[in-house]
Amino acid sequence: MDLSDFEADNSVSCRLASPVPEACKSEDCCLGIDEAGRGPVLGPMVYGICFCPVSRKEDLKDLKVADSKTLSEAERENLFLKLDKAKSFVGWALQILSPNTISTSMLQRAKYNLNALSHDAAIGLVQYALDCGVQLKEVFVDTVGPAEKYEEKLSQRFPGIKVTVRPKADSLFPIVSAASICAKVARDHIVKGWKFAEDLGEVDIEYGSGYPNDPKTKSWLLKYLDPVFGYPQFVRFSWSTAQTLLDSKAVTVHWDDDEEDGEKAAARQNNTSMLTYFSRSKPASAPTRETHRFFTERRLQSIDTL
Amino acid sequence: MAANGCVTAVQLGSLSQADKSQLHLLPCEVEHDGPADVAMFFSPTVKEHKCEKTVSFRGRGLKGQEVNCPQGYTGLVLKEAQRPSSDQEDRIVMVSSVFHNFTYWNLETPPTSDDCVVMAMAWPKLAEMIHAPVDG
Repeated sequence: MDLSDFEADNSVSCRLASPVPEACKSEDCCLGIDEAGRGPVLGPMVYGICFCPVSRKEDLKDLKVADSKTLSEAERENLFLKLDKAKSFVGWALQILSPNTISTSMLQRAKYNLNALSHDAAIGLVQYALDCGVQLKEVFVDTVGPAEKYEEKLSQRFPGIKVTVRPKADSLFPIVSAASICAKVARDHIVKGWKFAEDLGEVDIEYGSGYPNDPKTKSWLLKYLDPVFGYPQFVRFSWSTAQTLLDSKAVTVHWDDDEEDGEKAAARQNNTSMLTYFSRSKPASAPTRETHRFFTERRLQSIDTL
Repeated sequence: MAANGCVTAVQLGSLSQADKSQLHLLPCEVEHDGPADVAMFFSPTVKEHKCEKTVSFRGRGLKGQEVNCPQGYTGLVLKEAQRPSSDQEDRIVMVSSVFHNFTYWNLETPPTSDDCVVMAMAWPKLAEMIHAPVDG
């Protein structure tokens, strides 16, 4: 799997895809969608689609694809190679959501939650297949969330395509298993070979599974915590595991959209509270003129002491 | 000169030793007064497309651009070697770094000429003009 497009800039989202088989442009096709790396606090979340002509579903079964979670890493690698070899009738595409994309989206001013992010990634991939000329008739989706609502959303978005959303679809439909293998193999490779954009020198790659409850992941997160910057972009800052560690071990950072008590924020900014302002006697030389808007808009101020 | 009559002096001798580090003005308040590993964590992650720069800080997306100090001006970062124990004493500050430009960052919004930092840089020129003698 060639990940160089993503690795050239692993701070953004990236799409990788196989060539589209000619058979998929002329015959009715089915498509499976699955994700890898939703839970971990480290690394990207990868969305994968796999598609083939409806008439070739049995051939796909013969490749013995199964839910990626039930397979060993070596078995997944092997199956991915088989899928790649079946390029005369199987195509795939991936949307890699970098950890930095996940952090900055979820922590955006107008919050963009993980579900919305996942749905948009899935929709983007189906649209990509359609744009490539794949004759989609059936779409199968694995989900962890409420299946019915999601199914309705996708059916409305893609009229004329029969959409089936199921929990554990990756073990029910071979085309979803195939998608889950592509996504998982990509995530594994990316996490293993992560190139830190930060200048960290030799990085300890014993970060474990990346799941918050893995002791290896926990100790890695402690080791690479910087009091000012927090973490490298490999870490999802929006995960509560990361937030909790930062709250207790890094310096506090205030943003203007923090949900902070108004009076508290005001006191911090002026280093004084409203009450002391009222009780303080005015200095004799207090300026009586109000500052012109020109200066307040530019936050310019005359100062006579440091 | 401070209101209480004490003098704050800049030790100009420190100017020659001052470093010329790259400055970043962040759109947040960091409760920290001291060194930070900017070269390790921040600078290498800055991406640049045309004049717009992007980076993230603590998982939040920032967009920024470089601005120059007003012409004829030099930016100074001052550091007080020792804070006097009473407010009756004179104070001495050293120049810890010198800069002619810096990068300011907005939280998510692209930088524009309407940003307050950019507009603020116009003041010295304007001040000069309004204080200049009016020609016959």
